[in-house]
Amino acid sequence: MATKRMKDNYCEECMIVPVADIYETADAYSLKLEMPGVKKENLEITMNDNELEISGKIQKDETNGKNLKYSEYELFDYYRSFRVGNDIDRNSLKAELENGILTLTLHKSEEVKPRKIQITAS
Amino acid sequence: MLTYNIFDDVLELRNLVDNFFRDVPSRGASRDYPYIDLYETDAGLQISAILAGVKPEDVSVELVNNSIIIEGEKKSDYAEHPYIRKEREFGRFKKSVKLPYRVDAGNVQASMKDGILTVKLTKSEDAKPKRIEIH
Repeated sequence: MATKRMKDNYCEECMIVPVADIYETADAYSLKLEMPGVKKENLEITMNDNELEISGKIQKDETNGKNLKYSEYELFDYYRSFRVGNDIDRNSLKAELENGILTLTLHKSEEVKPRKIQITAS
Repeated sequence: MLTYNIFDDVLELRNLVDNFFRDVPSRGASRDYPYIDLYETDAGLQISAILAGVKPEDVSVELVNNSIIIEGEKKSDYAEHPYIRKEREFGRFKKSVKLPYRVDAGNVQASMKDGILTVKLTKSEDAKPKRIEIH
């Protein structure tokens, strides 16, 4: 689909891919995504097999009754997906939204965490 | 355990091309001044600026000579860990917005929500049309 569907001068199918920082610690991966303008209730995070999907909806009706005079940006819905490996514990995903930054913590599963092996004296 | 299927990647290729035309790259991260929108409302003007990841205490909004100056710092939240991906940017920013008419300096409201700064200004009485009586 190379053509963009436009409705009232607004691109319906446009999406913003939020920029992300990802770092790794000994027991988790941490993701930070910039999603300004998204409310907590309009955010959807799904983990499907090995795909982590993050989507945020923008409410456009907030601009009603106002007259846009000068514009440098336009907000669209956000979408980004990541492929995650088998080392992620799928049941302990933590998400926080603060000042337009979404922080996700993906804990590593117990099997891949570093373990100390006790040596038993024979 | 998940099994790797090579055909998943082949089908992904079609999505990759589709998404290329659909996606808009995220903006605002690679400039040293924030993007703004200027609206005119019934009461006056409204400026909204994208300031994701900036704490309200790190932003200052000033009204100087018929301009609004938005200044502040987006403080780095880097952790002392190895990074897999580093796309976000941090640093100081400053933006001056020239206003189309005089505003009431005593009635400026600024609020920050979900990473978006909103500044509400009311039109000054001086800027409103005045009828002059002819004697």
